[in-house]
This record gives sequence, structure tokens and C-alpha cells, in this order.
Amino acid sequence: MTAIYIQLVVSGLLLGGIYALVSVGLTMIFGVSRIKNFAHGDLVMVGMYLTYALTTWTQLDPYLLVPVVTVALFGFGLLLSFALIRRIQGAPQVAQIFATVGLGLVLQNAALMIFGADFRTTNSEIAGNVLRFWGISLPLSLFIAFVVSMAVIACLTVFLRTSMVGKAMRAIAQDRRAASLMSIDVKFIDMLTFGLGTACAGLAGALLVPLYPVYPTIGANLVLISFVVVILGGLGSIEGALIGGLAIGLIETLSGFFIGSEMRQMAYFLVFIAVLLFRPAGLFGQRGSETLGS
Amino acid sequence: MLEVRHLTKRFGGLAAVNDVSLTLNKGEILGLIGPNGAGKTTFFNCVAGAMQPSEGQVLLEGRELTGKKAHDVCRAGIGRTYQIVKPFGKLSVRDNVLVGALNQTRNVADARRIADEALELTGLADQRNVLAASMPLPRRKRLEIARALATGPKILLLDEVMAGLNPSEVELAIDLIKTLRSRGIAILIIEHLMRVITSVSDRIVVMHHGEKLAEGAPSAVMNDPKVVEAYLGEGFVAQD
Amino acid sequence: MSTMSTPSPKESIARRLAPVLTLLLLASLMALPLVVTDTYSLHFIWKVLFWAAIAAAWNIAGGYAGLFSLGHAAFFGLGAYTSILLYMQAGVSPWIGMIVGSLVALCFSLAIGLLTLRLRGSFFALATIAFAEVLRIAVVNGRDVTGGSEGLSVSFAPGLVNMIFQDRASYVVLMAAVLFVIGATTLLIERSALGYSLAALREDEDAAEALGIDTIRVKLIAIAISAFLSAVTGTLYAFYILLIEPTTVLGIGFSVEIALIAIIGGMGTVLGPLLGAILIVPLSEYLRAEFAASLQGLYLLIYGTILIVMVVFLPNGLISAIRDPRSVLRRVRRRKSASSRPEEKADA
Repeated sequence: MTAIYIQLVVSGLLLGGIYALVSVGLTMIFGVSRIKNFAHGDLVMVGMYLTYALTTWTQLDPYLLVPVVTVALFGFGLLLSFALIRRIQGAPQVAQIFATVGLGLVLQNAALMIFGADFRTTNSEIAGNVLRFWGISLPLSLFIAFVVSMAVIACLTVFLRTSMVGKAMRAIAQDRRAASLMSIDVKFIDMLTFGLGTACAGLAGALLVPLYPVYPTIGANLVLISFVVVILGGLGSIEGALIGGLAIGLIETLSGFFIGSEMRQMAYFLVFIAVLLFRPAGLFGQRGSETLGS
Repeated sequence: MLEVRHLTKRFGGLAAVNDVSLTLNKGEILGLIGPNGAGKTTFFNCVAGAMQPSEGQVLLEGRELTGKKAHDVCRAGIGRTYQIVKPFGKLSVRDNVLVGALNQTRNVADARRIADEALELTGLADQRNVLAASMPLPRRKRLEIARALATGPKILLLDEVMAGLNPSEVELAIDLIKTLRSRGIAILIIEHLMRVITSVSDRIVVMHHGEKLAEGAPSAVMNDPKVVEAYLGEGFVAQD
Repeated sequence: MSTMSTPSPKESIARRLAPVLTLLLLASLMALPLVVTDTYSLHFIWKVLFWAAIAAAWNIAGGYAGLFSLGHAAFFGLGAYTSILLYMQAGVSPWIGMIVGSLVALCFSLAIGLLTLRLRGSFFALATIAFAEVLRIAVVNGRDVTGGSEGLSVSFAPGLVNMIFQDRASYVVLMAAVLFVIGATTLLIERSALGYSLAALREDEDAAEALGIDTIRVKLIAIAISAFLSAVTGTLYAFYILLIEPTTVLGIGFSVEIALIAIIGGMGTVLGPLLGAILIVPLSEYLRAEFAASLQGLYLLIYGTILIVMVVFLPNGLISAIRDPRSVLRRVRRRKSASSRPEEKADA
């Protein structure tokens, strides 16, 4: 009996690791550029479809294509930043919300037009394997996704702490104006941040492909989950996204087991509402950051 | 009339305002001065309900206002202006003031009449149809006063309403403040310009590092060695 | 920002005439079914009126109070489900069900408001999505009562009491009447103390608070009115279509479309939502008819593109372009130069 619980907790944490990776991109973009990207989930969807398309085309294992997809989405992020996001930088709230909502609509329906509404699955040679230890079994693909996610988040943390660009990002996150006065190229860093955030979304998408089927509106679910994660952890905080991701993964798996799979979405929305009510700055958010939404 | 007792506001471990008490009497103009970062605006915000004080009390005519929300404080009779002006940019000057007047009446026509009076008094009557955003700073400062005035306050908290004005505009502002007082409004004013504050205030309170340093008649306060020292610390600029 | 000059006397006359013209326009829409008689055209007119009505209801919260809800489907759906359930389970006339459903939606909106109005801007948008999703999931899973994901269908039993009519013209008149009521409500709000308070808090909440406006209370009133009217529209929809499904009436997609029409037309104006519906409904009808088979999703892709272009270049909606075409050109030009400006306000 305890094996089931261990199984649940472990797979919840592993799932949470991927949620953390999805959310890290969102939280970084918010932290630095103060943009809440409602299309973030759709960028994950783009990563998933790209992996699917490349796998079908090249017949390679999806895992081999992960770097390609990540780099491609980084480029896509730069492009989006140049074409759209920089135009809504500092714009009123309504423009930021609905420009990214509009972007989401465009991406979703572009996918619908190209790939249709069917669920698409991709098989990986590697992903077929199942890990068994301590009486529990885990799909290898979930394990790989978790390990890669953790590694990427760790690298990002180090990058933000030590590199010049990372320091510039943190400076802008704290005070845009002061940073620009310190001759930091704020616009360039904004673009780079959006590129990196999109790359994280794409990477997460590629890792999700062997686990879940992809369909055009999957992003809508993912963006909500990642907002829940980010708000739970505290907007703009990488550590927060990690903890929040793991927590939501756990909540989803446990509530799926105890209340039933249809209700598990309900569980994290309720958590979300509770967080908004009792701790809008999140567990790791800067104080007063809830008013940054204004 | 307004009594502030032992007001303290802490941000984390730092006390921006530390145990400051003061009394504003009916029909009085009380100047609040102090070097940059002395905690004057924080003090204002705590009195006006924009921030909640950590400790202490705010009483208006004996009624407890401590911890009340900003709109309740305004309703109780304390109007305020912002150091960094906050006009409703896309509204006309008249509508800006009308919003303030709604504090006195829910009837829009009545509010418009009150607004027009306030505009007349503040010398903005000929600007009433201009959009607030398109006005130059001196007029926007005036608009701040007009709006606060239209709420029908017993007390006005004026936060640096003369910063950035030229000498003739300053004269006009001083006249305006004196007119307001003659209408029975008590005024608590923060100002950086020493010449202005000494000529306009009945009494002065000096704040330094969040604490009350001195209090008294303008001439006495300006000659207080402690006050001189506090200002010398950051370069004495009393004569500007 | 759009009009920088003092209004000339001519303009102020136009401003005074605007509400009269608005009401005349709405009244003439109500009279349309007298002229138009074929089923397809009537259905089309109904659709325009329907989208105008629901977008106008959203506009009271989104446009006037600055509460950018992305969960208005919840209010709409509560109205639709309540009146249909009362009708099917207890034989209650939809006219009563409409009021009950709208009150349910109003209470729901007050609950959301009380819980989330301390939050600002996009947090509110997120919270409304969450609440709407919770409701949708609850409806999908409450199969015994709500019919689950298949939804509920009403059998066709014409009668005034049942709000079900033999002829489409009646539906059109009814929807036009509701649009008229929503438009008139909006106009009344605009001219009242509430309207001025909303205009103030939209510009600067702190300043509004300092002038004695209880911003939370004012927002609650706006969202409650908006939710009530959305739910009324929901009942009308339910008894015209005679079928409600959670994915259609409670989904995020629906919420987004509602907001989209109001934004494209012009938020915070009486005529904006109607203008948005007049432009968007024919466009979507055309695109759907033309490309539904070959290019599924094209119309939403175009919707999305229009939405992006609008909020970036014409954030005050098409109505601002009609009122002052030159300001649009100015804005586009300024946008171009603005993109090379080094520093902008981080969060306005």
C-alpha cells in the first residue's frame, strides 16, 4: 500500500519538475520585462508540434531533437519579441493582456490549420522503457524530463547569478530606470529574456512530447497551470517557480488519485484561488509584488 | 483639530517615521519640514490612510481615524495632494475636480457647481475644458489643490505643492493657501522652500531621520541649533 | 490622449446628441425585423445583437471599471444553466428563471469581487479565468444535474411563457430590447456619480481613493451590474439555441471572444461593443462559411491578429478612429518613434 503512495509522490514530483520548467520561462519574462505572457502555454504547444513534426520528418528519436527545438524556439522568441512584445512593453495592462491573448489565438489556430484538431503522439525508443525500483515503476521519459528540467533550472540560476547578462537581467528586474541609467541595454535584455523564456517553453514542450499527446489547445491548460505555479511560488522568482511547480505536480497527482482525474484541475484552481486570497505575493515573491500587476 | 499621537511607521526593520506627535489647530497653517528622507511624505501617507501606521493614533476632532482607508479619511474631512501629481489625465480639468466634489454630494449637477467654485478659487476656471494631461506642471499642481478642495475638507494636507514653480507662481500659491485658511480650512503643509514655509506657516515642525526634531514658531525653529545642524549635514539651502 | 484640444461648441453639441443618436440607432435595430423576414437574415441580425449585448455587458466591467475579466462566460453560463434547469426541473418560466439566474450570477460576481478586487490588473484577469474554469469543471462533472459535457437541451414548446417562439422575429426583438436596456444602463452609469468615479479610478486608483472614492465598492457595483446583464443575455441565448454545452457557454474561448468584440469596437464607450459586433460577426460568418471545411481555425487566427493589431495600434477601439481619424495617424506615427525611445514606464 505504501508503494502506491511513494509512487504517487514520486511521479507527482517528477511531473512538477516539468511544470517548473514551463513556469520558469513565464516567471523570468515577468520578472525582467513585467510582461505577463498569456501565450506562454501556446509556446510550449509550438515546441511540442515542432518536435512532433521534426520527428515524423527525420524519423529520429524525439530526444535527439530537443536541442534543435530549444534553439528554434529561442529564435522564435526573439522574433516575437521584436515583432510584438517590445511594442507592448510599458503599455497599459489591457494591451499586454489582450495582445498576448491574441498571440495565443493565432498560434493555436495556426496549429489547428496545419495539424488539425487530432491528438498527435510521438513514440520514442527510449521513452518506452520503464524504471523499476523500490517497488515502484516510472516511465523513463518522465524521469528524463525531470532531470533535464532540474539541470536547466540550475543552469539558469547560476547564469542569473554570475554572468554579465544575468546580472543585467536581475538589475532590470529590480529597477528598470536605474538599470538603463547604468547603461544597460534594457531593450536588448528584454529581447534576450523573452527568447530565453520561450526557449524554456520549447524545451519543456519537446520533453513533454513522449509523455503526452499534442493538440492545438493544450497550451490553454499549460498556461493556466504555469500561472498557478508562478503565483504560488511568487512572480519573478526562479526558486519560487521550482517549489511551486513541484507543489502543483504533487497536488495534481494526489488529487487525481484521491478525488478522481476529472477533478484534479479543480484542485489546483482552488489552490490558485487560495493563494490569490491569502498570499498574493506568493511563497517567495518580493513583498508588494501583487500590486505590480497594476 | 487633528491630533497625531506617537505615530510610527516601519518598513522591515527601518522606522521611516518614529514616534512623531503633532497637533493641528483650527484655522492653523502648520509647516512640516526636514531634509530629504526625513519621513515627511510617509507621515502624510499614514495620516491620509494611504499607508497603515505601525503604531500610534490619528484623531480628527477626537474621532479615531487610525488605520482607516484613504477614502474613509477623505470622507471624514481630510483632503490631500500628492507630491508627484496624479491627475486623471484623460478627463477634463473640470471633471477632475468634479470627482473630488462627489465626496460631498452624489448629485452630478451639484458636484459640477462645487467643482466650478473650486476652479474659480484656484484660478483654473478658464482651463476647465482642457484635458488634465495636457496642462503644464504648475497648473497640474494647482489642479491637485482644486481637487482636494472640492472634497470639502476641514483639513488639507499639501505635499510640496510649490516644488518646480517659478517665483511669481509661488506667490500665487502662497496667496491661495492663505485664502484657503481664511475659509476656515486648517492646513498641514510639507515644503522644501524655506522662504515659503517660514512666511506662510504659523508653526513649524521639523523632522529628521523619521523623528520630530523641533517644533515652534518659524523664527525660533530656524534658529534652533539642532535644526541648523540637521540641514548642514546635507548642505544648508535655506536661502534658495 | 486622443483628443488634446479644448472641445469646440460644435463638438459639445455632438457630445450631447450622441446618447440620443445611440438610443435611436438601437431603437431602429429593434424595428429591423419588421422589414427583414427571411430566416437566415433574422438569425444573422440576432447574432449581431447577441454579441453586441454580451460585449456591452462585459464593457461595464472591462471598459468602464478597468476589470479585464477573462471569465465572463461564467456569468453568462450561470444565467443560461440556472434558467434552463429551473425550466426543465421545476417548470419555472424562463422569465422568472432569467431573474433568478441573473441574481445567482450577481452573487457569484460579488464573491469573486470580494475575494479578488484587492488584486490589480492582470491578476484579476487570471482569477476570473480560474473561477470560470472551476465552474466549468463542476458543470462537466455534475452530470446528474447539468447533463455533463453533453449539456442540456430544451424541447421546442413555443409559448410566450416559455420564452420559446415560433418566429425568429420575436427573438430578434427580445435581444434588441436587452441590448437597448444594457446600452441605456451604460449611458446612465456614464453620466452618474458612479460613472465619474469609475473614470477616475481607471486613471489613477490612489488618487481616486484620496478623493473619497471607495474604489473596491465602486468596482463591486460595476462587476455586479455587468454579471447580472451577462446572465440575462445567457438566458436569452439558451432559449433561442435551446441547447447549452459547457465548452461553448462556459469555456475560456467564449470569454475571450466577448472581450475581443468590446475591445475591437472600443472599450468604455456605449457604442463600442455594438460597432465591434457589427464588424466582427459578419466577418466571422463569412470566414466560417468560406473556409470552415478547408481551413478550420482560420477565422480565429484572423480574430487573434485583429486583436493584436488593435491593442497595439488602436487601443481605444475602432470607435476612436471614427470619432477622430487623425488621432489614429498621430498614434501610429508616435508608436514608430516610441519604439526607439530608450525608457518607458515599466508598469503603467
